[in-house]
Amino acid sequence: MKGDLVVMAVALLVWGLLFWYLIRLERRVAELEKK
Amino acid sequence: MILRGLLLLWIAAWIVAAFLWAPLVPVLGPTTRVLYFHIPSAWVTVLALGWSMVHSVLYLRSRNLEHDHQAAAAAEIGLLFCVAATISGSLWAKAMWGAYWNWDPRETSIFFLLLVYGAYLALRSAIDQPERRARLSAVYSAIAFVSVPFLVFVVPRIYFTLHPDPLINTRGKIDMDPRIRVVFFALLAGFTALFFWVQSVRVRVARLERRAEER
Repeated sequence: MKGDLVVMAVALLVWGLLFWYLIRLERRVAELEKK
Repeated sequence: MILRGLLLLWIAAWIVAAFLWAPLVPVLGPTTRVLYFHIPSAWVTVLALGWSMVHSVLYLRSRNLEHDHQAAAAAEIGLLFCVAATISGSLWAKAMWGAYWNWDPRETSIFFLLLVYGAYLALRSAIDQPERRARLSAVYSAIAFVSVPFLVFVVPRIYFTLHPDPLINTRGKIDMDPRIRVVFFALLAGFTALFFWVQSVRVRVARLERRAEER
């Protein structure tokens, strides 16, 4: 059960990091589009 | 931004449900959870490569570079998801079959798919002139997609495979526990939305690159 929770936490972390990266990338693209 | 926030919560909530709510398939044990990631990745691969083919054909008809951006972005994302499906499948194979790679028909098919679309990206990177690059890669993508249904759906059904039944099995039914089915389709929808989001960002980047090239 503990191992399951660790894998779940890693999956959530990876998803969170991917989401954060995409949001940052999208903001940067929007800035460049304005220029 | 609201839609993106909803997607964040949607996928996070169903990941939690996959671990804490959905039961395990007795034969698969804890590796059941791989299917929530592996099959949606394979689905997005087919969706993205199909999207690339459609826009390649539209480019050949209209010569509008916007379609070239769509086709190239979708092929790149499709290849990324194909890599994700390959890695998750290998991890599952190690747990169930004892080896990461067995040259099972499914594994061989996905290997060829990676080669075919890796060559597409190599072709694009080898041509500098935008119109020529768009024209040649559109022809390649339109022809390459013919191999996708063959490699994904036909080959694994012709030859004996250790791979579990596909989602819709040979009896034409979806044999899944109701809770597994809910989590699975929720994540399938989440991955599909993620594809369209990444696709839109990649196309915007391609437009910026084109503007920079034109200057």
